[in-house]
Amino acid sequence: MPQLVFLTVFFAALLALGGCSSEPEPGPEPQKTYRHSMDGTPTGLDPAHASNVYAGFLVVNLFDTLYRYRYLARPYEITENLAAGPPVVSADGLTYTITLKQGVRFQHDPAFDQGVGREVSAEDLVYSLKRHFDPEVRSRGSWLWRDRIQGMAEWQAQGSDYDQPVTGLRALDRYTVEVRLTRPFPQFVYTLTTAHSALVPREVVEARGREFGTAPVGSGPFRLISMDTTRAELERNPEYRREKIDLAAEGFDPLRHAGLGLESVDGREMPLVDRAVVDFVVDGASGWVSFTAGNEIQYVRLPPDLFDQALASRSPPRLKPDLEQQYHLHVTPEFGVTQIVFNLDDPGIGYQPDPEANLRNRDLRCALRKAFDWDQRNQVFYGGIAQIYPGVIPPAVPEFDPDADRSSVTHDPEGARQILQRLGSAENLPVLEYTYNSGVAQQRGFEQFRGQMSAVGYPDDKITRRVFATFPDVSRAASNRELQIWVYGWTMDYPDAENVLALFYGPNRAPGNNVTNYANPEYDRLFEQAAAMQPSPERTAIYRQLNQMLIDDCVSIAGVTRVRAYLTHRDVIGVPDRELVGGYFLRFVDVVETP
Amino acid sequence: MNTSGLVRHGLLQAVALVLGVTFLGFLLMVYFAPDLSYQLAGKNPTAEQIQQIRQQLGYDQPLPVRYLQYLQELATFDFGYSDSSGERVTALLARTLPVSAALLLPGFILGHILAMGLGAVAAYGRGRWTDRLIAVVSGTGMSISFIVVMIAFQLVFASSYGLNWFPARGWQWATPAQYLSHVAVPTLTILFVSSGYNTRFYRAVFVEQIGQDYVKAARAFGYSRTRTFFRVILPNSLLPVLTRVLYSVPAILVGGSLLLESYFGIPGVGKSTFDAITSGDQPVLKAVIALSSLALAVVMLSVDRLYRVVDPRLRG
Repeated sequence: MPQLVFLTVFFAALLALGGCSSEPEPGPEPQKTYRHSMDGTPTGLDPAHASNVYAGFLVVNLFDTLYRYRYLARPYEITENLAAGPPVVSADGLTYTITLKQGVRFQHDPAFDQGVGREVSAEDLVYSLKRHFDPEVRSRGSWLWRDRIQGMAEWQAQGSDYDQPVTGLRALDRYTVEVRLTRPFPQFVYTLTTAHSALVPREVVEARGREFGTAPVGSGPFRLISMDTTRAELERNPEYRREKIDLAAEGFDPLRHAGLGLESVDGREMPLVDRAVVDFVVDGASGWVSFTAGNEIQYVRLPPDLFDQALASRSPPRLKPDLEQQYHLHVTPEFGVTQIVFNLDDPGIGYQPDPEANLRNRDLRCALRKAFDWDQRNQVFYGGIAQIYPGVIPPAVPEFDPDADRSSVTHDPEGARQILQRLGSAENLPVLEYTYNSGVAQQRGFEQFRGQMSAVGYPDDKITRRVFATFPDVSRAASNRELQIWVYGWTMDYPDAENVLALFYGPNRAPGNNVTNYANPEYDRLFEQAAAMQPSPERTAIYRQLNQMLIDDCVSIAGVTRVRAYLTHRDVIGVPDRELVGGYFLRFVDVVETP
Repeated sequence: MNTSGLVRHGLLQAVALVLGVTFLGFLLMVYFAPDLSYQLAGKNPTAEQIQQIRQQLGYDQPLPVRYLQYLQELATFDFGYSDSSGERVTALLARTLPVSAALLLPGFILGHILAMGLGAVAAYGRGRWTDRLIAVVSGTGMSISFIVVMIAFQLVFASSYGLNWFPARGWQWATPAQYLSHVAVPTLTILFVSSGYNTRFYRAVFVEQIGQDYVKAARAFGYSRTRTFFRVILPNSLLPVLTRVLYSVPAILVGGSLLLESYFGIPGVGKSTFDAITSGDQPVLKAVIALSSLALAVVMLSVDRLYRVVDPRLRG
């Protein structure tokens, strides 16, 4: 018995010691710290490797890109960042001349002469873009400019010697760069907002070698203090150019942004906080506990399974009164599209040499689409607030057609049954194989799909699953054209429907982005025609025509854009939209003392 | 067998163990880990790009060649750079191993001390209410999922829904106070879960000892219960205890705790290993496998020596 008493006392002592020690530590911590969280981990902080949104978030704060998106303007609008003004584009759309701001400096680093960061110049842009075509760099962003810049392929073929010029990419003077394209690419300026396009200093890259991504040096508003697998800590870059916030130019709308306190940041110098800590919190429950603790992360994504607990209403989304007093709610559609895709190389559901069999398979895909219930999927997986629309052009881009026929996203079990009956007996139907990576939500997704197909008479024993351990395994199998049916999400790189329509362009077939292996010469012809056009009603009409072709050919069950709900503590002044604006918002975020 | 013969025998066993573990680990990694070349190629890759990356990563080499290269890396302890982050693998290990050790050691040490105490109480009170109570508590610790315990303890000790005494997640250890506050909830979680298994183990060991003639003799000589326990029972229990404790050390030092580190946001080797497994970062995986096998080999060699230290009968 005495032993039990001792142990009880021992535990009490441990708890008391730990509890006492959780008091705030006095120390030199800067006054203004913003604690952000992300639901994933970055791929690396070298701009050439920044291929996911989490890496992009950090990279655009550590480095400079030529352009960025306006903080608050929706639909998204592009604006200058490191560039001094919009690009000057030649009449044929092939030559872009861009002037850089003067006096912008890289952060200090021992690799620079005397350790002092030098001025950013046009040569840095030339070097940074060349890096993507150096095989040693293993760039994940080269696809943005592949076959687009004159002479780049030749430069690569000749050994990627940085001292050799690229005919279509040159610095005209210290602050002016000229890019000559192989064919018109109106989206080129958008690519200069991506994290991949950020400017890196050659001497530091060469000094660090492969470890550049672990100790990056750029000219962005923040510099990296430390990063590990769970967190990145950034502090204000003291060398950052003294730019002031022009709220009106950033798209401030007194009505839309009422109550957020944004007016207080107008006219102030960026960035507004001294320190930004970004926690990588993959587990939603852990993130919620940390957020509600009060003294930890100040921003969290509200997982759909907590909607009932947190939201008073979903349309429009509104917090419960007790939470509303503590937190701001931000609701943002993701900038992309999610769909259930069919591999058209699969003979069971895809292309067949025999036209009749080909048509039969197309009808089968259409029947599966009719049997699919988007509303149910929305309720179960997306908290009932996702945007469902016909085809793949999401509402966030100007080419979206709000008046489009919605029959392709309307649950029509009777129509599905009729098609299946027309296709003949159950024995004639192919085995469907739905693929997902291991996970409870993914398994539920399959069960829902099977249930809906089964409900229209598709034989249960012909709806099978293939489970991979990880998502990269699914991606690899898709690239190798091994899958039949799976969920495919695409985060858009710029606000132009070309970015999603390219997913069905013939030359992009797997291992490229066209994982459905859709092959339609008419589609390809129209896509090429539109790809060279500047934004115009004519181009929008072609985009919509392409979208309709995808719907008519039942290439996928599409589409949905998830709407994400984020919460910030009331002491955070900002609109932390991680979608296309990405990490650019961080420089506008302020933290104030709340009563 | 003389001492030098024993040393040779032990070393041979250790080499065989390292080769066996690394080869099996290497096979699993090559055939079952994700193929990173597809991720490194980025969006919209061409077949040529993927092939080029495969060549750079050495994936196009025959398996025996790749394994020999691995052994060479093991011999020089130079595993190159992480394919994901670009960080030098040795630097990554130097950064993460101490964190995992600092995270797990308190729970490990306290867990064994607590379990020894509870095991002794249960063994002495065999069949009585204390034994049953401890059996119920141990059974509960063993039955509840580690994840559930972790979530529950976080809610109770580190959330606004509970006591909110400790940080919900993260890791700071610049000062002892920071360290204690960040390690407390993970330690309690480890204690709750591991104590069940350990208590059952120690109880069984002590019950066996209590029935021995020399224990009865000690009691007959007038030794108190406590004196009997520390002077007779504990020394005679050291062989199984040593085995259990020492063979747990490699897992603590190298394996870290994937669940704890992921859930509480702790940058230890377990989290890095998990990330490497899910992304297919082979340089990191190779280093972790190699380090695990080396640690196991060291333990195997040490156990033999320690047996001789603690048990005079084995000194021959």
